[in-house]
Amino acid sequence: MKRASLRASLTLIAVALVAGGVAYAGLLPSYWVFLATSVLITGVALQSLGLVAGRTGMIALCQMSFAGVGAWTVGYLNLAETPGGLPLWILIGGLAAVPFGVAIGLPALRLRGINLAIVTLSFATAFDTILATMTYPGQTDFLQVPRPELFDSDEGYFVFVLLFYVTIAVALEFISRSRLGASWLAVRHSERAAAAHGVSIATAKLSAFALSAFVAGISGGLLAGYLGTLVAENFSMMQSLSLYAVSVMTGAHFAEGAIIGGLLVVMFPEILRRLDWPQDIGNVLFAIGATQALSTGETMSETFRRQFRKLLPARVPKTSAAPVSQLPAALERAAGPALTIESLTVRYGSVVALNNVSITVAAGTVAGLIGPNGAGKSTFIDAVAGFLSSYQGSVSLGGRPLEGVPAHQRARAGVRRTWQTNRIAPELTVGGYLALASKGLTASQTKAVLDWLDCPHPDTLVASVDAGTRRLLDVAGVVAARPAVLLLDEPAAGQSHEETLRLGQRIAEIPKLFGSAVLLVEHDMDLVRAACSEITVLDFGQVIASGPPARVLSERAVKKAYLGIEEESVAA
Amino acid sequence: MNALLTSAVAGLTAGGTYALLGVCAVFTYRLVAVVNFTGAAIGTAGTFVLIALFEAGFPIWPSVLAGIAAGTATGVAIGYIMTRWFGEASASTKAAVTVALLVGLIAVGLRLTGGQHPHNMPELFPGSAFRLAGVEVTIASVLTIGLAVLFTILSDLFLNRTKVGLNLRALADRPMAAELLGVRVQLLSLLVWGMTGAFTTFALMIIAPQRSPNFMTLSLLVVPALAAALIGVFRSFWWTLAGGIALGIVEGLASSIDSVSQYRSAIPFLVVLAVLLWSQREARWDEAR
Repeated sequence: MKRASLRASLTLIAVALVAGGVAYAGLLPSYWVFLATSVLITGVALQSLGLVAGRTGMIALCQMSFAGVGAWTVGYLNLAETPGGLPLWILIGGLAAVPFGVAIGLPALRLRGINLAIVTLSFATAFDTILATMTYPGQTDFLQVPRPELFDSDEGYFVFVLLFYVTIAVALEFISRSRLGASWLAVRHSERAAAAHGVSIATAKLSAFALSAFVAGISGGLLAGYLGTLVAENFSMMQSLSLYAVSVMTGAHFAEGAIIGGLLVVMFPEILRRLDWPQDIGNVLFAIGATQALSTGETMSETFRRQFRKLLPARVPKTSAAPVSQLPAALERAAGPALTIESLTVRYGSVVALNNVSITVAAGTVAGLIGPNGAGKSTFIDAVAGFLSSYQGSVSLGGRPLEGVPAHQRARAGVRRTWQTNRIAPELTVGGYLALASKGLTASQTKAVLDWLDCPHPDTLVASVDAGTRRLLDVAGVVAARPAVLLLDEPAAGQSHEETLRLGQRIAEIPKLFGSAVLLVEHDMDLVRAACSEITVLDFGQVIASGPPARVLSERAVKKAYLGIEEESVAA
Repeated sequence: MNALLTSAVAGLTAGGTYALLGVCAVFTYRLVAVVNFTGAAIGTAGTFVLIALFEAGFPIWPSVLAGIAAGTATGVAIGYIMTRWFGEASASTKAAVTVALLVGLIAVGLRLTGGQHPHNMPELFPGSAFRLAGVEVTIASVLTIGLAVLFTILSDLFLNRTKVGLNLRALADRPMAAELLGVRVQLLSLLVWGMTGAFTTFALMIIAPQRSPNFMTLSLLVVPALAAALIGVFRSFWWTLAGGIALGIVEGLASSIDSVSQYRSAIPFLVVLAVLLWSQREARWDEAR
C-alpha cells in the first residue's frame, strides 16, 4: 500500500515538474500561465470538497465560504504586516477555517448526511450576507496581498501554487490509503459496518471535515495572492454550489478529477467568452454532468480509470500461498466465559424479538446459535455488538459489563461482528479493508490471513470481488483483528457445499490459531456440526434447546421448529 | 412595544411563505422520499413566467394562471427526472441530484431573466386586511398564512385519512414494493411534484414584490423553508407550519433592530444548527445504514 502511494505520488510529482518547468521557462504565453494558475487554485478547492463529498459521501455546500475565511485571514495578516509572508499566512488562513468546518460538521455527526446539506447551504447563505458587509482588508487603502519575491511573476506564482497543489495531493494520497482514509470510505458506505470495526463515526466525520476546511482555507489564501484583492462574490454561495456539482461530476477525490474539474471551471467560461456566448451556460452543463454522474454512479475520473485499466495488461499477482506460520500470533486469553449474556430481552414496540435469552460463550470454543428465520438471531448480534438503542438484561465481556458502551467501543474492547449483507466499501482494496478491520497488520500477515480463507490478493479492488468471497473477506477482517469474541452472522450464505465445509474447518480452528472465542450464527447444519462444540437454538425469540450439537439437533422441539412439522410426518 | 409588534407583523408574509414552502418540502419528503432543494426554484420559474407575461402587457389574472401552470410543469419535469432515473436511489443521492438541478435551474433562470436586472413585479394583493392592536395586517400575509394552514390541513388529512395517501406513504418507503402491489408509482409521484409546484408558485408570487425579485434570491428561499421543515423533523406538518411562521416573525423583529438587521439572513442557519444539535441528543443507528 505504501508502495502504491509512492508510485502515485511520484507520477504526480513528475507531471508537476514538467508543468512547472514548461511554465517557468516561459514556453507558454503569460495569459495561459495565468489561467493555469487559476485552474490549480480551483483544483485545491475541489480537492478539499472531494474529501467530504467524494470520500465521506456527505453533501457539503459551503466550501467557498471556508475558502473565504482563509482569504480574509490572509488579508488581515497582510494588513497587520504579520511577519512570515504569504506562505505562512496561507497556512494560518487554512487553520482559521478549521473551527468553522468542525462546528458545521457537528450537527451531522449522528444523523443522515442530508442534514449536512441543509446546514452547509444555510451557512453559505449566512456567510454571504456577513461577507457582503466586510470589504476585503486593505482594499480601501489599495493595499494588495504581496506575493513572495521569488514567485512574484505570473510564471513564478504558478509554480508557487503548483507546489501547494502537489504537496496537498501527495499528502491526501497517503492519508487516503491509511486507516483514516479507509475509515472515511467505510463511513460513506455503511456507518454501522465502520463502527463494527471500532471506527468512531464522530472522529471519522469530523477529521474529514476539519481537513477539508483546512484545504479549502488554503485555496482561499492562494486566491488572495493570485488576485491581490478580493470581493465577496469570489466566495458566494453560487460558487460553492457549482463547485459541488463539478466535484460530483468529475470525482474531486481523485487528483486527476480535481484538475479536470479545475479545467472545466476555468476554461469553460473562457471558451464561451471567446465564442461570445454567455458564460453562465457552464453551470447548466455542470448540473447536467453531475446528474448524469449520479445516475450512473460513476464520476468522470472513475470512468477514465476503468478505461485505462482495460488498456493495461492485467497484472496477475503472485499466487503462491503464504504459510500458516505467517498468520498473526494468537493473543493470550484467560480461560472461562469469554462472553456472558444474561436474560437478554429486546422489544420492538409490542413485538418481543428476544425473550429472556441467556448464552455463555467459553474462551477457546466455537458456539453456535441457530434457529429458523425470524427467530431473533440477528437481533441478538445487534444487541451484543451495541447496535440497539435499548435492551434489557446484561452483556458482559470477560466479566466486564458492556451496558452503555457504544458500538465502536465494544468493537475495540473485543466484540467483533460480521454482517449478513455485504457492507464492505467497494472502493477499498482487499488489503486496505484488512488494514481498516485490524490495526497494525504487517504485509505478510495480511497475505497469510487472506490465503488462509481463500481470499484474493491484497491489491485486488473489493469492487471486483464476487459476493460470496466478500463474505469470506468480512470474516478475514474480524479474524485478523483477533478480538476476544467473534460474532459471525451466517458466513456461509452464498457458498457452495464444499466451500462451506472448508469454511467450517477454518472456523473450528479460529480459537486455536487466533485466540478468539466464536459465536456462529448459521442456517447450514453441516457447517454448525463441523465447527461448533455447543449450540443454542432460538425460536420466536426464546431459547428452546442448548447443549452439544449431536444431542440438541436430535431433539424433537428443534426439528419441529426447523421443519414446522412433527418428525413422524417427515418420515412418512 | 408597538414598534416591535409592527415589525413582527411585518414578518408574517415571509413567515407564511416559509411555512408553505416548508410544508411542501415535508410533503415531498414523506411522499416521494426526496429532500428537495429545488422547491423554491420551481416556484420561482412560475413566478417569472407571470412577470414576463405581465411586462409584455398581458392582463394580470390570466398571467397568474399561466405562471402557476408553468410552475406546475417545472415541478412535474423535475419529478420526472427524479422518478425516471432516481426512483430507487438512496435519499442522499436524491438530495444531491436536486442540488445539482438547483445549480442548473438558477443558471438557466438567471440567463433567461437577465441576471440581476430589476423586474416589475405586480403586487397581487395590495392593501391591508384588518388592524391588530393598531397595526395593519396586510392581505398578503393573511393569504400566505391562510394558504399554508390550508395546505397543512390538506396534507395531514390526505396522508392520514385517504387510501391514496396511504398508498403514497408506502411508495416513499419502498417504491418497488408499492409498484408490485399495483400502486401507480410514477403517476402518483408526478402528481405530488405538480401539486407542490403549483402551491409554491402561488406563494412565491405573493412574496416576490417584497424581495428583490431576481431568480437567485427567490430560489434561495429554500433555505428558510428547509429550516422550517427541520423544525418539523421532516415529519410533522404542524410543527413545520409553526416553525416557518416563527422564522418569519423572528426575521421581522431582527430587521427592526439596526445592529443585527443586515445579518438577518443568518437566522435560518442558527435555527438549523440549534434544531439539529437538539435533535441528536441521543445516538441512534439509522435503519438503512
